[in-house]
Amino acid sequence: MQIFIQTLVTGLVTGCLYALIALGYSMVYGVLKLLNFAHGDLYMVGAFVGYYMIQWFGGSSALVIPAWLVIIFMLTLAAVAVGGLGVAIERFAYRPLRDAPRIAPLITALGISFILEDSVLLLFGGYVRSYNSQNFISYSTALHVDGVNIGAVQIMIVALSVVMMAGLFLLVNRTLFGKSMRAVASDREAAEMLGIDVNHTIALTFFIGSAMAGVAGVMSGLANEPISNYIGFLAGLKAFTAAVVGGIGSIPGAMIGGLAIGLFESFSSSYVSSQYSDLIVFAILIVTMLTRPQGVFGQPPLQKV
Amino acid sequence: MPLLELDGVCLSFGGLRALHALDLHVEEHEIVSVIGPNGAGKTTLFNIITGIYDPSAGDIRFEGRSIVGLPAHRITNRGIARTFQSLRLFLNMSVKENVKTATYGQTHASPVESMLRLPRARREERAVNERAEDVLGFFGQRLQGYRFDQPAYVLSYANRRRLEIARAMATGARMLLLDEPAAGMNPNETHEITELIARLRDERGYTILVIEHDMHVVEGISDRVVALDHGEKLTEGTFAEVANHPQVIEAYLGRNPEALQK
Amino acid sequence: MAPIGVDEWVARSGEKREQAGRLRRLGERLNSRVGWWPRLAALAIVGLVYGQLGLNLNFQTVGFNSVLYAILALGLNIAVGWAGLLDLGYIAFFGFGAYGYALFSSHAFGNLVALQGGIHLSIVAIIPIVLVGAGIVGVLIGLVALRLQGDYLAIVTLFVGQAFVEIVNNVDPTVFGGNNGLYGLDPWHGLGGRIGTLNGYYYAALVILIMLMAGLHLLDNSRTGRAWRALRDDPLAAEVMTVPVNRLKVMAFSFGAIVAALAGIVFAAQQRSVFPTNFQSSVLILIYACLVLGGVGGIAGAVLGGVTVTVVEAMLSSPTDSSYLFYGLILLAMVARVRPWRHLALMLGAIVGFGLALRAIVGAISHAAIAGPPGSVGWIGTVMRHFVIVPTGSITYGNILFAALVVALIAIVQLRGIWRQVAIVPTVYAAACCWESRLIVDTGVTAQIVLGAILVVMMAARPHGLLGTRRVEVV
Repeated sequence: MQIFIQTLVTGLVTGCLYALIALGYSMVYGVLKLLNFAHGDLYMVGAFVGYYMIQWFGGSSALVIPAWLVIIFMLTLAAVAVGGLGVAIERFAYRPLRDAPRIAPLITALGISFILEDSVLLLFGGYVRSYNSQNFISYSTALHVDGVNIGAVQIMIVALSVVMMAGLFLLVNRTLFGKSMRAVASDREAAEMLGIDVNHTIALTFFIGSAMAGVAGVMSGLANEPISNYIGFLAGLKAFTAAVVGGIGSIPGAMIGGLAIGLFESFSSSYVSSQYSDLIVFAILIVTMLTRPQGVFGQPPLQKV
Repeated sequence: MPLLELDGVCLSFGGLRALHALDLHVEEHEIVSVIGPNGAGKTTLFNIITGIYDPSAGDIRFEGRSIVGLPAHRITNRGIARTFQSLRLFLNMSVKENVKTATYGQTHASPVESMLRLPRARREERAVNERAEDVLGFFGQRLQGYRFDQPAYVLSYANRRRLEIARAMATGARMLLLDEPAAGMNPNETHEITELIARLRDERGYTILVIEHDMHVVEGISDRVVALDHGEKLTEGTFAEVANHPQVIEAYLGRNPEALQK
Repeated sequence: MAPIGVDEWVARSGEKREQAGRLRRLGERLNSRVGWWPRLAALAIVGLVYGQLGLNLNFQTVGFNSVLYAILALGLNIAVGWAGLLDLGYIAFFGFGAYGYALFSSHAFGNLVALQGGIHLSIVAIIPIVLVGAGIVGVLIGLVALRLQGDYLAIVTLFVGQAFVEIVNNVDPTVFGGNNGLYGLDPWHGLGGRIGTLNGYYYAALVILIMLMAGLHLLDNSRTGRAWRALRDDPLAAEVMTVPVNRLKVMAFSFGAIVAALAGIVFAAQQRSVFPTNFQSSVLILIYACLVLGGVGGIAGAVLGGVTVTVVEAMLSSPTDSSYLFYGLILLAMVARVRPWRHLALMLGAIVGFGLALRAIVGAISHAAIAGPPGSVGWIGTVMRHFVIVPTGSITYGNILFAALVVALIAIVQLRGIWRQVAIVPTVYAAACCWESRLIVDTGVTAQIVLGAILVVMMAARPHGLLGTRRVEVV
């Protein structure tokens, strides 16, 4: 039972992170019909931003300002910086390709991925780092369930993720901006002709999606996941699976998908084999694609003849 | 025996009844027009005949044999070819290639034979080329000469419509389904289309089922007219009979408000 | 692209032809005069001559890799360029061929079937066996792909490719070699001869390439080629026009798989080994880069792309050549975008002047700031020594400059007109300083960045590639 709860908690935490990244994938796909393969690398950049914030303030064992303040700074800066980076990438690399054949944005995304991963490698080196958050966040039991310790960090991650997802849900469904987002996702030309500033909407969508990925990066670092310039690739792939399984383009789909994949990964790692947990996640994707390609919440591709 | 026969055909999309208990027949060498307001199910009718949708009930027979459930390319090989309401040419291929592609079902050379230019492949290529030129020649000088190698996207709208008909002809079909062939054409071009359809039957022996909104065209070409509304057949008969049918008038023009008040 | 009437089209293309530079017009005239087959023969002759030149190992490697990537790009072109199917798992077929060859030319298979010493077949036997196997796998993948459209197809094939690497990495190391791969493979042998040198494999690959180009050209102009291209433009219309779309999709995957596997056989034999890292996604991206750079859909484009990417990659790996490439690309970009010529001349002059002036000022303030050695070697290094600002201990400086450079580039895209041209001056100078002080130090990493940048810029400027034509997409 203990193992079960432990696995469940780990799965939830990972799931929340995947969900945040997956949301960015889904939102961007929704408005641009573009699979942004460089999205995972934005998560990586966020993790680095957080890491260097810690170093700036004295390093994990000797912070000069209170830990909670550092965390707030990290999250805010990561959100803004990575969000801004996402907007720049859209403006610079994707906007010229709005009407190009499908393969062009794909190649561009791969190129951006190269650039991000290797620029970070160039600037900061390739060795693996860790936030060492145990030095500034008390890992003493925040919650004690059935003999299992649930740390403060894990609670924080889940809580913050839920808040962000709730906020996004409200934004998309209850605000005017959300409506314009959905309009652009539905039919870009029509939206433009109805007076919606499409470029602005797309840029803002990118900002939000990228910001969330950046925040996920920081939170992953706080959970003491290893940080290196290549973490974006695998995380991106998994979040991508989550977005697709949940239904690419669907916001609730990305959330559910992220949690599902996180839990699947955690449980298969605990109960089956940690070596093959990646393959199991891939297998889920293949099965979903073959049986219900539009995902759980997605709509089947329409074709008017 | 009619060339094409629909027998109690029904089709639903979820809760929406697209076609209901539809009986239709087309005799060989006939030109039958299908009319009805938008949303009546006319294009759906074409889609169901050509195998893009499968009917939920009823049977469709061509030359006496059922074609329900066959994949679309097999139905075309049996002898029914269509054009699309919103043109669907292969825009990045040349005019001639568009037409040649439609002969795929009549040729049998394997990729290996094609690569090695074995005799059968060469023979078939020659035949395909001749057929393409023959079919394109049907349209006079408009799709000839320098046009052959132009990509389809440079063609004017009217030429695109002609090319789409040419492509359907190249499939070797006996029956053509023309979906709004005169849409978007000026009176002169409309007149040409009307003549063209007549020529298709008279010179080449096609049986033709036409969807049209332009009543001048319908009147000019039809042996018979079928009127649809809400997926059901309202009536059929000669143009005069159908045009004066009260339900048809109501579907197109609405009910007389004065009559309502009485 | 909006449809336009014939007279306007004829007039516009005439206009365009006149405006294109003289060189371009000469090239086009040559292109249309000389038929396809003479061009292929010319390429074959060039290839043969290249092999005869007796160049050093580096050049030989570049030659071999160019031909190999050209073959791979051609295979990918069948599924992606002709049939319009986004196959992101293509690398798995390459790996299938390579590992297939390895299993039949080493002791590895022996571990599977309890045969001491393994199986060692001649190349005459290996090729049919592996290619048939690849064809079958291609059919299987194709059947799976039938249920998927567009982006979903891309995703699934991507994961299949990933899965291949995982499988080869993890499953049964005694047979597949696991992480360490398989080595000590036999060279090609059969019919009394064997190929043991790099040059030998180069010729083998060249023969394969020429035959492949010929075969694919013939296939393109046949009913199958037309059917594939129709399928790419509009699958529904194709189906209704007698094209059995499903069968052709499967065929496209299968043909592509066979070509990739053939490349794999050559690759494994030349390397005398196979490793899982030979088939990871970075290699796949390189193959896609070849295809996209050359222009998706054309045979010549695929070959040109293969050669270009290989040459660029090779240049980026060597410190001397990478400087040529770097400065060459900057100059090319400026020449291509800055008109009229006097503006360009002015800009170049301003860059030189700005650089020299800044260097003098900084040097006057602190001698150490400019004492560091420029990274380039040869005459470029000598020139740059007097031009750029490189302090001793320049890593951090280089890093900051790099970050600033990225920001500057983004800013330049936003600016217009005269402000853009003004901003370019210090940016180019900063780029040179950054290159000399930092980028050239880590050639491997820089190579990746430059490759990524080339991809991004290429797609933004010319999505249809060097030799491709603009396509009209049916929405």
